[in-house]
Amino acid sequence: MSTLQKNMMISLFLGASLFATDYSSVIESPDATKIIEKDRLAPATAYKIPEGCISTDPKAIARGAYIFHNLNGKKAKMNPPAGLRKNAKGKNKQYGNCVACHNIEGAQGGGNIGPDLTNYSGIFMESKVRNNQFVYQKIADSRVDNPNTHMTVNLTTKLFNEREICDMTSYIVSPK
Amino acid sequence: MKLGTKIVLSVALLSSLSFASEQFAMSDSDRAMYAEMLENNPADMMVESGSELLSYMGGDAGLAKYLGVTEDELPAYIAGFPRYIKKFDMVVGVDQVLQAMMRDGGHKPLKLKSGNMFDMSAYVKSLANDEKINIDVNANPQMKEAYTLGKEVFETKRGGRGLACLSCHSSDVIGSVLRTQPLPDLSAKGVAVAATWPAYRMTKSSLRTLQRRFQGCMKNALLAVIPLGSKEMVALEVYLTDEAKGATIAIPGLKR
Ligand code: HEC
Ligand code: HEC
Repeated sequence: MSTLQKNMMISLFLGASLFATDYSSVIESPDATKIIEKDRLAPATAYKIPEGCISTDPKAIARGAYIFHNLNGKKAKMNPPAGLRKNAKGKNKQYGNCVACHNIEGAQGGGNIGPDLTNYSGIFMESKVRNNQFVYQKIADSRVDNPNTHMTVNLTTKLFNEREICDMTSYIVSPK
Repeated sequence: MKLGTKIVLSVALLSSLSFASEQFAMSDSDRAMYAEMLENNPADMMVESGSELLSYMGGDAGLAKYLGVTEDELPAYIAGFPRYIKKFDMVVGVDQVLQAMMRDGGHKPLKLKSGNMFDMSAYVKSLANDEKINIDVNANPQMKEAYTLGKEVFETKRGGRGLACLSCHSSDVIGSVLRTQPLPDLSAKGVAVAATWPAYRMTKSSLRTLQRRFQGCMKNALLAVIPLGSKEMVALEVYLTDEAKGATIAIPGLKR
């Protein structure tokens, strides 16, 4: 290495290559088109609630509650109940973070972007304003009955599987 | 020495904020600290260091010359970024201008994501303090295109939860609460985002740029994070800068 080059190395901006190029290779401007294309949300999808989806088994409800109240494995409080999968790569699973937008029994720091789901069974289920199919579809892909919704899409994005959506639905519609 | 001070500060901030990290609530003690920091923004120091770095390339005068304006015109000119610059044939942010300037000055350009680059960009943007944002998205076809792309990126639903920026930043949800955080109005009526970044983020104990802030929301909301300086990132900056047009620039900002 020449002395000139050495001097440049210790100059403020560590080194300098001396061949000239056009600015598109000098100025960082990586292509994000593909990242966004791959990440795009698939069209709204209608789902039929699976057979035996809704359960009164406390274990299923506990799993639903856990997904509802937590964000991800690293930040999740306490251990997840039995039967909750990690994600495919064995990394911490992202949970629902539903309380970010919804209040519900026992919510800590519940948001109000979405409706309050407190006493859902009393207010919405017993009155038959809502049914299991509605709640399941809402969580799976909320766009079907509200194209401009701000609610998250959870099955079409494959963030959760059918079983997990069923657990969440069971939790929400259960008397608490 | 500067680094030493930074570290001491970060440790102090960390220990007082870490308890609140899970739900991002602003506790009374956070609020008290915020009030204190408003008096004495830790980022002032980083802006100062950005100024020192720029001095190696001729300081304000060097920058004005590079941009083809007088030193008097420089503040108002900076207040119009991102801009289309013919020489580069690109719509660029000030950080990208600095990269080109480094190269033309015989230096290896700093990475857009480097701390020194954040410091320098913050300093350069602060030259426009007290000016009003004067971005012109109709100045030329390139700016028009960037604006349209930025709006599209802002509204595109994607990621693990199928959310768009718009899901949390549309006018009908401003002020609603997400996990104890009120959703901010990103326009000139609200926090006038583009006029207040780069900013010091208390929860990150560091100076961050606007594009870096976008990445934070992408990560939190499970949108694939797009790289700094990409056409789409610059376009987002163009779009939100236009939303804040007319707002008075006050940099470095101070954020939760
Ligand atoms: C980013 C905000 C947000 C998040 C996160 C969110 N929701 Fe919602 N949710 C909404 C909004 C807004 C509505 C009302 C608009 C609509 O129905 O589309 C809603 C509606 C609902 C409803 C329908 C209530 C009714 O009877 O009308 C249910 C059930 C629901 N959400 C469950 C969930 C579950 C479970 C999760 C987590 C997996 C979740 N939400 C996460 C915003 C959110
Ligand atoms: C799930 C909700 C959500 C989504 C989606 C989201 N944001 Fe945010 N954003 C927030 C919240 C909440 C805050 C305020 C947090 C705080 O105070 O620290 C915020 C803050 C910001 C800020 C800083 C505002 C300030 O005070 O200066 C910017 C800029 C921003 N968002 C841009 C974006 C962009 C761009 C996208 C899309 C790529 C996006 N956001 C997507 C919830 C969201």
